[in-house]
Order: sequence, then C-alpha cells, then structure tokens
Amino acid sequence: MSDVYHETPLSHCAPPQGLSIDLREIKDRGMIDLRGFASDKTFLAAAKKILGMDLPRVPRTSASWGDVKALWLSIDQWLILCAKSKVAELVVALENELGDRHSLVVDVSDMRAVIRLEGEGVREILLKGSSLDLLSNDYKSGTVRRMRFAEIAALLHVVEDQVFDIYVFRSYANYAWDFLLATARIPTRVKLFGKQI
Amino acid sequence: MSNKPYRLAQGGSHIDRTQRVHFTFDGKPLTGFAGDTLASAVMASGSRLFGRSFKYHRPRGIVGLGSEEMNALVGVGDGARHEPNLRATQVELFDGLHAVSQNRWPSLTFDVGAINSRFSRFLPGGFYYKTFMWPQSFWKHVYEPLIRRSAGLGKAPEGRDPDSYEQIHVHCDVLVVGGGLAGLTAAKAAAASGAKVLLADENPELGGMGDLTAGSINGACVIDHAKVIAAELLDADNAHVLRRSTVVGHWHHNYLMIFERVGDHDPALLASGAPRHRLWKVRAKQVIMATGAIERPIAFANNDRPGIMLASAASALVERYGVAPGVNGIVFTNNDNAYLTALSLKKAGITVRVVDSRARADGTLIERTKSEGIEVSMGSVISAVEGSMGVTGVRVAAYRRGQGRVITERKIACDFIAMSGGFNPALHLWCHNGGKIKFDDGLQSFRPDQHHDAVMAVGAANGTMDVAATVGEAQMAGEAAAKAVFPKARFPKFKSPEIKEPSRAPLEPLWFAPATGKYNEGNKHFIDFQNDVTVADLELAQREGYESVEHTKRYTTFGMATDQGKTSNINGLGVVSEATGKSIPEIGVTTFRPPYSPFSFGSIAGVLTKDLFLPVRCTPAYQWHVDRGATFEPVGQWRRAYTYTGNGEDRQASINREILAVRHKVGLLDASTLGKIEIKGPDAAEFLDRIYTNTFSTLKVGKCRYGLMMNELGFLTDDGVTVRLAEDHFLMHTTSGGADRIAAWLEEWLQTEWTQYKVFVTPVTEQWAQFAIAGPRARNVLAKLAPDFDISHEAFPHMSFREGKLGAYPVRVFRISFSGEQSYEVATPANLGRGLWDAIMDVGQELGIEPYGTEALHVLRAEKGFIVVGDETDGTTTPIDVGLDGLVSKKKPDFIGKRSLEQSYLKGPYRKQLVGLLTEEASEVLPDGAYAVRVVKDKPPMEMIGQVTSSYYSPTLERSIAMALIENGRARMGETLSFPVEGNKVIRAKIVDPVFYDKEGVRQNV
Repeated sequence: MSDVYHETPLSHCAPPQGLSIDLREIKDRGMIDLRGFASDKTFLAAAKKILGMDLPRVPRTSASWGDVKALWLSIDQWLILCAKSKVAELVVALENELGDRHSLVVDVSDMRAVIRLEGEGVREILLKGSSLDLLSNDYKSGTVRRMRFAEIAALLHVVEDQVFDIYVFRSYANYAWDFLLATARIPTRVKLFGKQI
Repeated sequence: MSNKPYRLAQGGSHIDRTQRVHFTFDGKPLTGFAGDTLASAVMASGSRLFGRSFKYHRPRGIVGLGSEEMNALVGVGDGARHEPNLRATQVELFDGLHAVSQNRWPSLTFDVGAINSRFSRFLPGGFYYKTFMWPQSFWKHVYEPLIRRSAGLGKAPEGRDPDSYEQIHVHCDVLVVGGGLAGLTAAKAAAASGAKVLLADENPELGGMGDLTAGSINGACVIDHAKVIAAELLDADNAHVLRRSTVVGHWHHNYLMIFERVGDHDPALLASGAPRHRLWKVRAKQVIMATGAIERPIAFANNDRPGIMLASAASALVERYGVAPGVNGIVFTNNDNAYLTALSLKKAGITVRVVDSRARADGTLIERTKSEGIEVSMGSVISAVEGSMGVTGVRVAAYRRGQGRVITERKIACDFIAMSGGFNPALHLWCHNGGKIKFDDGLQSFRPDQHHDAVMAVGAANGTMDVAATVGEAQMAGEAAAKAVFPKARFPKFKSPEIKEPSRAPLEPLWFAPATGKYNEGNKHFIDFQNDVTVADLELAQREGYESVEHTKRYTTFGMATDQGKTSNINGLGVVSEATGKSIPEIGVTTFRPPYSPFSFGSIAGVLTKDLFLPVRCTPAYQWHVDRGATFEPVGQWRRAYTYTGNGEDRQASINREILAVRHKVGLLDASTLGKIEIKGPDAAEFLDRIYTNTFSTLKVGKCRYGLMMNELGFLTDDGVTVRLAEDHFLMHTTSGGADRIAAWLEEWLQTEWTQYKVFVTPVTEQWAQFAIAGPRARNVLAKLAPDFDISHEAFPHMSFREGKLGAYPVRVFRISFSGEQSYEVATPANLGRGLWDAIMDVGQELGIEPYGTEALHVLRAEKGFIVVGDETDGTTTPIDVGLDGLVSKKKPDFIGKRSLEQSYLKGPYRKQLVGLLTEEASEVLPDGAYAVRVVKDKPPMEMIGQVTSSYYSPTLERSIAMALIENGRARMGETLSFPVEGNKVIRAKIVDPVFYDKEGVRQNV
C-alpha cells in the first residue's frame, strides 16, 4: 500500500502487428476539463494567466503553449492537455486563480483512453469509422472535433497532417482499439483520390 | 444442339488466350481464359443451360450481358464461402472456381420440378392468393415449406463466413455513376476544374458499352477514346475510380452507397487478407448519373428458351469473349441497333438473318447489313420457338402493328436468337431519391425529367442514344457540376471531337408478338423471366380488376425478383397499356427502390461482427472479474459481474454465499458503472432542488443525501445519492443505465428553460473506479487500507463523505449503503482502480471478504425494501406509488413533476402501490412479473390487480421475498393474493411491508 499500481486502459494490449500505420496508446497524458463562460473576460484572463495562452474560442480549434494544449469542446468547455505529472499542480493553480468566478475545473485524466494514429493513410483508416469529411481542408493540424466513431463517441484531434489522436471514454477503449486493428490491416489499405494503378 | 465448343478462332477483347483458367460448373471440369465471365466460359464449352426458372422450372440460359441478367443465377464457392444467386454474367473466372446452377433437382438437365410447367394452367397470376388462403393454419405448416422447396433461389452458405468486410465513408464534389463514354467524359470535364471526382462502375473494365457502339471519335473507335479518358482519370490527383463497384442506392441529400467487390475475382487477394467486399457511404455535392440503358427483350411465344438472348449480350459474347452464341442465328428487332449485332455475328463467321417487326426502316446500319448479304425480313415477328432445352427453329409470321394477327408464317431453322425491343434508360438510381421521369415517344420508354437533388443524367441514362449528343451533354454536365461546387471554377476550353456515327431509323414499339395457332396455350410469352410472369398473367390481372400498376405488380409479382425488373418493367407496362387501352404514361411506373442490384449482408455488417458487433464497456477491474470466473450481465452496454461462480458452484449457491458474506462478514462490489456528474455554480443548490423531489439546498457540506428524480409527468426516472463537496459544488450519482440520459437531462433544463442559472454540469462517470465495501466488517477493511482520515463512526457517520488517501491511493469515500449494512463506497481515479481493488481484496482476505455481483446486490437491497428505478417503476410510477412520499418536498416552491402529482388521477384511489409479498410456501419464488388477479378463473382473461416487480430467494431470511405494485396495496396489508402462473398453478402470497430485514435500519448505522 506504500505505492499505487497504475494501469492505463490499453496497457494490456500488445504492440500491434501488420498495420499500415503506427497505432499506440498515449499513457501519460494529463487531461483537465475546464468550464467557464467565454463571455466572461475575467475568466478568460485567469485561464490565460495560468495556461499561458488564450483559450481557443473558434469552434473545433485548439491552442497551445509549450507542452500545454487547450482543445475547444463547446462554447463553455475546454479540454486542457498536459503531462500527467503536471495535472494536480495545474488544477490547483487554475482553481486558485479562478477563485469565486463561475467555473469548474475537473481532473479527467483517467476518463478517456488516448490512441495515437500516425502514418500515411491515417485519414482513410478513420473514414472507415467516421462520416466526417476528413480529407477536406477543415481537418488541418490543430482541428478538434467530437464525432461518432464506429458505434461510439470519440474526440478527434488532428495533431499533424498524418498524426491523429482519438480520445474515447475509458470503458470503450478495447472496442475502439479492436476496431482500429481490424480497419488498419495492411491488406485493407485504401488510398483515396490520387494516382491509381 | 450439339455440345461442340463455341470459342471462336479469334477475337475477344476481354480475354487473354495465353492464360487458361480451370473451373467447374455443376461439378464438371471446364476451361476458359483469363478475362472470361462464368457465362462466357460455360457458353464457350457449348453448354447454354444455367438454371431452372423460379416457378415453372423451365430450362433457362443467358439473356443479358451484365447485372441485368435474370436467368443465369448461380452459386459460387464451397461450404462457408458459398454465395448463392450471383449473375453468371458478372462472375469473373479464376482458377479453381466452383460454380453450381440453382433451383433444379436432381440435375439441371433432368428436373423433377419441371412438372410445374405441365400444370402451369393451375398456377396463374396471383395463384398464391387464390390457392393458399385456406385453411389458415396450412400456410405455415404445409404451403410455405412446399413452395420454399420448389420455388427457390440458391442455398445459404454453410458455417461462419471466413472472409472480412468493411465500410468506408467518402465525401466528394462530384460522383459519377457509370464508367461508360458518358460517365468518363463527364468525370473528366468535372475533374479538369480541380473538383474531387469519384467515379464508380460495376464492371471490371471501364468503357461501358463503348466497344459495342458504332461510330468513331476523332478517328478512333469509341472504346479506344473512352479508355484514354479512363487512363487520365486513374492518373489524376483529384479523381478516384472504383471498378467492380455498383451504386446500389441513392438517398436524400445525395447520400449514396456503393458496393465494391474487392476480392471476389481473385482468391489470392482474399487469402492475403483483403476484405471481400467494401461498402462505400458517399456524400456527394453533385451526382451525375451515367448509368446507361438496358436492352428490352421481346415477348414472343417461348421467348425464354436457352439460346435466346439480348442482342447486346450476343454482341458482347462475340466481341469481348470470342464466343459464338450458336452457328445459325436470328436477330429479332424493332430498332436499328440490333443490326450491329447481325454485322458482328456475320463478321465472326456465324450465319445470321434479321427479323424486323417494322414495316420499313432505312438507317445506314440496315443498308450495310443488306449489302453484307444478310437476309432481312421486314414487317415480321417470331411467333413461336421450337425446341425446349435449346432453340431448334422459329416460326416467322408477317406482322403489322395495330392490324391484329396475321396467320401466314414460315419455319426457319436456327440455334439461337438475339432479340432487341429497344433500350430503357437505367432510371433506378434516378428514381430512388424521388427523381421525376417522363415518357419519351421516340424511345418508347421513360427518361429522366426533374430532380429535387443536385443530380443530372447524361448519355443513354438520359435517353440520349447517339455518340455525338452524349459527348456534348456529358461534357456540359461535368462542367456544370463542378461549377455548382466551385462557382469560380475555370475550365480548359473544350474542343468538340469529330464524331462519325451511322444514322438510325426510329424504333416501333413491340410489346407482344402474337403466337399463331394456339394462343398462349403452353406457349408462354415471358415478361419477367426471373419470377416467371407472362403476358397472359398481366392480362389476367387486368381482367380481374387490378387497375393500379402497383397492384398488378404485387398480384403477379412482376418486377419483384432480385433483378428488380431491369428488363421487364417497360415491357410489362406496354402489355398493360395494350390490354387496357391506356397509354404507358397514364399507367405510370412502379416505385424504384434500393438496392439497384443485390449486395452482400457481409458488406452491410462491415467489420462490426463478433467482438465488434456491439460496443461493450468494461470497468477498470473487469479483467479481475473475468479471471475470477464471474458470469456477466449486460447493464446498458456495460458488462457487470452478475455472480462469481468460478469455483464450480451453481449460480444460486454463489449468489447465496455472496449475500451471506455481506450480511455476516464483508463483501466487495464493483460499482464503477454508477453515473457520476459534477455540478458546480452559485445556483447549483437551487438547481438541484428543482431537479430532485427532495431538498438539497439544506444538505451540509461533506454530507450525502438520497434523491428521487421525476419527469414533468410526475413519474420516477432516476434516483441516487448526491454529495455536497462544497457550498456551490455537488457530485451526483445516477443509476448505471441513466448516466448519459441524466447528464443530457440536466443540460437540457439549463440550456433551454433555466438559462439564468449559473451552473456547470460535467459528467465524470469514467474518471472514477468505485467499489462498495459492505458488511459488518467493512470498517475493519477500511482501517487496514491505512486511511489518512478518521474513519470512526462518530467522525465519519452514515451518509457522509471524506476525501483523502488510503495508503498511497487518492480516494473519495462515501459512507452510503444500498445493502443496509455498514458500507463505504470508495472511489479512486480509474487508472488506479485495478490496483485499489487488488489491495482491498488483499487486506480483506483475513476478514473473509468476498466479491459480490449484481444479483447479490439486488437481493440485498430487496431485503431492505429499496427500490430499483426500472424494476419497481415502469415509467408510470410516482414516488407516492412506491411509498416514498416522505422524499417529496411539501415546502419547495417548485420542482420538476410537482404540478403533475396534483392531478386527480395520480392522487386518486386505485393506484398501484408498492408492497412486499411473502409466499405461503416459503421456498417458492414468485416469477418476476407474475400478475395478481382479483378472482382466479379456469382460464384467462382474469382481472389483474397488479404485478410482481422483484422476486428473489433471500438466504438471509431463508425464504422467498418479493415486491409488487398492487392496486390499493397499502390498504391491503395482510391480505393474501393469488398469482396464476404457468402450468395452471396458482401461487398465493401475503401482502406485507416491503422492508423485510432490519426495519429500524440499525445495521448500516454502527
């Protein structure tokens, strides 16, 4: 009892073989759910003071400062990403700075599984589970979008052109992982809109 | 008909004569060439028989050249990979292919069911309705099994499908349906502007009917011109071309589905793990239909004999596969296009003559045919066909449209017939999504009219049958589609190509070629070959009063087979038109519905099979439960441990053991699935006062309170314990199944009704693993976990909350009880959940801790008379009904459902009220849901006065217990009720208080 045993949602999964992209769980991501009114300038200022950046206010965008990122979730909700080791400190700092202002800061680091997809063809693989127009210019780096993926809810974050993170609720981690294993197999590869043989 | 091979010495644009392919048809080993279809390879071997017809079991051969084929349905593959009902004209040959014919027994050439044909006078149109209506019970046990056996399609595969399937979504600016000259031209035009263009064609090769089309484009054959465009599209960055891909349906907002046959043609691909089929779900900004046209058969006596095919199919056999349809044929037509077939056959060295129903016609093709020395009989029709397993000859009669039957006829020997009754634009997809159509007198068919969606039709699909007009309109449509998406798009200047093509005389409708002599007696004129519907059936339906074409369709089953009436539709309307004297546009068409042609269940399921069939939610300690041999039950999408039978006990034994452990020692429950919602803001307390029936603004910080939630109707929807974390900060627990629904419910009230409230609601269900440690030794277990806070009863009483650490584990501990025992619910961040669970089990070992599942949980709470929303309530149950009046505030000004509880029918007498039940026989457990009746009668109906809502064996009380909602139940205490159950048995039970155990509630409070 002197130490805790820590287990991420997909820690029991072996590194996948035979896929056309790299697929792995991000295990050390800290996540904070931040609520506040975007119309409240003192709230925004307080958040900026702690996070070092303006919270993104344009739907489906994100912002970053150093290794901290803020993902727009709705008009009054952001997901703050940071190293897991920094979460407790950041939560306290935010709560202290926000004080009595109407706001809610919750550590949700364990609530979701984070799956990193990386490589050529990653958009096509996601299109096997999502009806979003992922090949369009709407999905450039930094874009954040809640979506229905396969049969579940997921949060999509375009990290780079060919690097995507998807966030799914922890209990669905196995389902999302297995769906990706099935749809990212090399023989199922699809290349959309380009030179064909 | 001899069995001599029919492969021509040369020709065949699709086949590679250097690659022989070995396959079997009905077990017989045959060879073909790479590029052959099953149809062409079997025809090349000299065989024409492909199956037996649906109803009359008549021998049938190939009629069409692609997806319109209605007769040659075959089964392909063995065992689990067997797929029935494929069109032989679309099955691409590969080495080792095994195909079988269908609907014949014992063999294709000798078929017992063919006797149906002899008795066909007893199987007229609508015979199902006429014959099998009575007696009713015979339908299920006698008629249906019989009909299923004799009228049938192929056999289902045996065993689980070994192949994989998948789906993919794609958005495009322009979807072009069809890769013939029109589609390719339109796609190229649209792509030139930079638009994202998707083109889908159902065939393995692009070019459509270009190779069977007369004329030239810039001096090149039509097909060569088309192939150049195809190559450019395949090379383009902004185009995607799908082959072997059928657009099966078109829905609102230009949503379409494409069925791609990825691996059917190549077992090596499948073996490498490629999906067999892929279903594309397409959202297109603009759609261009270039679906071509389908040739019409002609209705003449015995027009279904093997060897009678569409003229386009005969041409394709010769030109694409180098296969002769016979040695001596007749082209029977009402239009010029079939003359191309005659020329093609002649060039291949096949004897041919033309029978043309038109009195006169003078197109270039006719002249060329005559100058080639081919005999042309104008003003003539085929009035009868001789031969049954094939064609041995025909009778040709003089014919003049509108002048009745002419009886002069002559006999001509031949072994095949190529027929053409004109062409129907393939309108199916145009109409799926509500496109309007209009009748075209020139075509004698319908063609596209208006469409409410962004859809255009080009080429033959639009009724444009000549090459020059097709190229022109396809180019314009492609540019228009791109321009609609990108208004500022610029296009390279289009230089109209130089096009040469023969002039054509107009066609003349020919819906029915009358038989001479015996009219329609044993000589059937088929309209719908696949469902065996004849001209006589359609006429009979008219005589019997089926005036609406939709009624005629259902009565005769015309157009209802798997080919969806591709070849039969207009012909049928023509017959109905002649029988009723109404014009075809007056009669109207039947509704076109998806799919255009059948597609696989595998593609519909995609990868969502087996483990992916249903998303299953697992708690952080899930694997522990699995390893411990738990049996699971679904709760929403969660899988919760029901009971731990791992040590070989039966379920009742393990449930009893778990319950007694909680009552006498200590138990551990995985309660992580409980809904958890953080609620914070200056108005949070007032908000909760409105949401719950009872009051939360009076709750002290650090305390817990059980709350009831109603909807606006006053009916219970959820319950749970809410904790006050701070003055303005609450943590709400909901039922496991209610977590998402209640979070949405709270948001709805905040966002739509009480917008003035400053309250944030953040669901955190999955952030926490939560375990209930329950039983007289619960505190001892907690103590062993090294809490950094005082856990004495005085410092940490029932219904209070502490945040702190158990050893190294950060926790929230709620002293709440759903079992009636001393109980602590311990929550820790989910990633630490498994570790904490193991730690609790570890330290609890010497205290006799046992994990307990959801069934023990339910019995424990029932012993205490605690309700479960969804068991004791059914959506029409109020808090008063379940005896929780005390939790409905009398003081609060308002809360959801308050007004409804004042309604007379919710306040009045005769409401069903929650009571406990004790059966007279202590060991007898009432069935869940059993009804109490006012008076027991010999048989139902009996007047029901209530029902059992929960029923268990209680090992604590060593007898059965139950809860029930009974009319005026609380006034009936002590009364004994009767519950008739299965097997003419009546169980009697006494109404008692629903709290069976520890009525004073002392056990949880020590």
